[in-house]
Amino acid sequence: MIRLVARRLMMLPLVLVGTSLIIFALSQLLSPYQRVATYVRSPQELKSFTLDELVRKYQLDAPLTTQYANWLRELAGGHLGWSEVAKEPVWDAIVRHFPATLELTLYASIPMAVGGVWLGTLAAVRHNSWVDHASRVFAIVGWSFPTFVFGLLFLMVFYGWLGWFPPGRLSVWATQAMLSPDFRQLTGLVTIDAVINGRLDILVDALRHMVGPVVTLSYLYWAQLQRITRSSMLDTLRQDYVRTARAKGLDERSVIRRHARRNALIPVSTVIALMVLGLLGGVVITETIFAYPGIGRLLATAALQLDRATVLGVTLFYAVILVLVILAMDISYALIDPRVRIE
Amino acid sequence: MRRSGTVPWFTVVVVALALSAGAGLPAAAETVKNPDTMVKATYGEPETLDPAYAYDTASGEVIYQIYENLIDFDHGDLSKFVPMLATQVPSVENGLVSPDGLVYRFPIRQGVRFHNGNPLTPEDVEYTFERAMLQDRSGGPIWMFLEPLLGYSTIEELAKDLAGVDSFDQVPPEVLREVYRRVDAAVEVEGDTVVFRLARPYPPFLSILAHGGSWSSIIDKEWAIAQGDWDGSEDWVRWHDPKAENDPLYDKANGTGPYRLVAWEKGNQIILQRNEDYWREPAPIKTVVIRNVQEWATRQLMLQSGDADIVTVDPPYLEQVAAMPGVRVLRRQPWLANTAAFFTFNIAVEGNDFIGSGKLDGQGIPPDFFSDIDVRKAFNYSFDWQVYIDDVNMGEATQARGPIPASLPFFNPEQPVYQLDLRKAEEHFRRAWGGRLWETGFRMTIAYNAGNDARRIAAEILEQNIESLNPKFQIDIQSLQWPTYLQAYRESRLPLFIIGWLADFPDPHNFVVPFMHSTGTYAAAQRLPAELTREIDALIDRAVSTTDPEVRRDAYYRLQQIAYEQAIDIFLVDRTQPVVMRDWVQGWYPNAIRPGEDFYRLRKASS
Repeated sequence: MIRLVARRLMMLPLVLVGTSLIIFALSQLLSPYQRVATYVRSPQELKSFTLDELVRKYQLDAPLTTQYANWLRELAGGHLGWSEVAKEPVWDAIVRHFPATLELTLYASIPMAVGGVWLGTLAAVRHNSWVDHASRVFAIVGWSFPTFVFGLLFLMVFYGWLGWFPPGRLSVWATQAMLSPDFRQLTGLVTIDAVINGRLDILVDALRHMVGPVVTLSYLYWAQLQRITRSSMLDTLRQDYVRTARAKGLDERSVIRRHARRNALIPVSTVIALMVLGLLGGVVITETIFAYPGIGRLLATAALQLDRATVLGVTLFYAVILVLVILAMDISYALIDPRVRIE
Repeated sequence: MRRSGTVPWFTVVVVALALSAGAGLPAAAETVKNPDTMVKATYGEPETLDPAYAYDTASGEVIYQIYENLIDFDHGDLSKFVPMLATQVPSVENGLVSPDGLVYRFPIRQGVRFHNGNPLTPEDVEYTFERAMLQDRSGGPIWMFLEPLLGYSTIEELAKDLAGVDSFDQVPPEVLREVYRRVDAAVEVEGDTVVFRLARPYPPFLSILAHGGSWSSIIDKEWAIAQGDWDGSEDWVRWHDPKAENDPLYDKANGTGPYRLVAWEKGNQIILQRNEDYWREPAPIKTVVIRNVQEWATRQLMLQSGDADIVTVDPPYLEQVAAMPGVRVLRRQPWLANTAAFFTFNIAVEGNDFIGSGKLDGQGIPPDFFSDIDVRKAFNYSFDWQVYIDDVNMGEATQARGPIPASLPFFNPEQPVYQLDLRKAEEHFRRAWGGRLWETGFRMTIAYNAGNDARRIAAEILEQNIESLNPKFQIDIQSLQWPTYLQAYRESRLPLFIIGWLADFPDPHNFVVPFMHSTGTYAAAQRLPAELTREIDALIDRAVSTTDPEVRRDAYYRLQQIAYEQAIDIFLVDRTQPVVMRDWVQGWYPNAIRPGEDFYRLRKASS
């Protein structure tokens, strides 16, 4: 097990070099004039400078190797560069935007996984009954909805009409309370910081803001999980060992929970890990609709404005997360299925 | 797929719920929500909070609330000034401007404190302007001080000129010290007064100083130095032309204004808190929040629920909010920006795909195509302003009468303009190029910057009308990336380019220079012929080197007349802007040059 972890961690630098090279090379497909776009916003700004001078100033016309080397040198010094869209160093931008997305991911993945697995199990166990059909309809509706439609409908009903779940991350008063000197910000996750500081009112406010994006995200993922869990469960339930378990006279609950579902969860856990990865990468549309300041919105804005330093930095950060999540996935296989441990 | 049947049913229910949401709302509009907090939901992120670096309205809006200038415009009236951190507005009559217009004296107000408690002194004012000139970041706004005070548009140009070298890196240290001495001599403290010594008379100078929310905001010298900024010594190059990340003041702020900065959560929101020790009456609203909400539907719901008091609404959505209970929509508020289509008189030929064959053979246009006044007039008569204003700008514009927008002094309201008249257009086309153009026809490309639908449609209007006159006339339309577009027009490769100008300061000078002067941002790219610019340049120079309003009016009227008679551009529109707020927001007033709102004047009260 330790060897598995160590091997995966050793791969990390390779993944990073590869990713950075690919992104860097891709960004070279844009001409220096396109890349200088981040720096020029109005004709006024060119009053005393030509584009050529700006291109030279930011070394956008230097050969790929020089630019890459410059960037690596910066990176070695601990600088990911300056984010033109975030108006701060790229690393600071990541540190500020990632906790918001992480928090969203944490809260969204629990209902997503629990709900999806539960629906799938239910559908498989009550195969072809009305429960099966209803849960499938419920999930398929979620699957068919474009995120922005579902998110906006949610906002219209639960914010516009009922006034329950506002967009954003916190109310103004809660933000101010968190910014006051006697509030200690430790994790950047507002719900956890609120608990640490014993501020239940801020916790409630944060949760209220999170309902919208969490429901939107989990509902959209339920369908996939439901389908995979259902078919995986159906497969497992037909296996001999399940029949054996039943023949031994075990009650149906134990058969399903201890024997069938545990095995059926192996493919499901892969899917869950991939979904969590997707969530962590930032769910651009959801974050935009709910005005939620996460890393997805940052990356999307940076890409639109050709802000290379930010795209590169966030992508590298994402690569690290990717390797770590895949590692966690492998460990979870080993925990679910003892056979993996032997390999 | 199993979608059929299920989705419509579910959708119908949710949409019905959502629609009934709108109907159920009006009752909520009665009570004022969050009475001591004003929330503006908009998009666009400030670049920086350093007044000398900022050159965009999103930054300006924040700086406007935190910092203050020596003087201000009188409640939005761009032709009248009122004192602010200075106790008087200098004029020749009160003796604070020298009769030759070269010396301006500002008595500095006593008893004003910065947000950190430091008192405002004349040294702070001197430091503010000297720091700005020495910093002079590339592409920044400080040319507006350098031109009147030192006679150059960049500090590097001055240094290179003094040293007689081509590159700023080669300027020797003693010349750098000389540059500092010149900057130092331009702004000086005399007792309680700050004295500006101009290199030449410059009538817009007071307008530049009065433009709030930007370059002229007074900063605290002691505090700035403590942040690691220029220390006031002659060793200044280290702080010259910083990148944003090396600018010590880029995300900090300490002004004398009605609001202090609490937090700039980048990409998300800015929170400002009332300055309780303000030298005037403290602001009625305690907290101001400027939130970055990209999605229009979300902003709309925030407005509807009263969580946002003021929202930015793009013209196509105005109809939606106009019907909303509890919401006030102010249409066509003045805004100092205009748009024109510029003819290039001498198009660069090298590798230019925009002019087809480059000859008058029906497959292209010659480089001097637009030097024929009949062509320019024919194009002007082919443009449909009504369609452009009503359908493209949704009424948020008026037809421009020349380079000077209508809200500025010396604008001539009687100036004739071109109107859509295809009969006249045809006459001019038949006469153009000695009648050859009508026989052979032409082909050219009009480019616009990708994503700018207003410019695309303007080009399409010309295309449609001109092609309808003669089957041998062909106009193609092509989109370019913004920087490529800028590059192409600056290299005079675009036969016709459509672009706007947003005022730096409210004076006709800021418009006639880019639109008409031989060195102007647009006119230079147009390569206006020398025989034309000789008269134009002389008029512009005359208008800017006197403070006599009669002389200035004559010159600007004549310039507007030339622009029309020579049809040097198709002057499209003066832009206006809609303002949308909850009707409990009181105290809003228009100001064509203010970046965003003046939160100090706003209150909340049920109407």
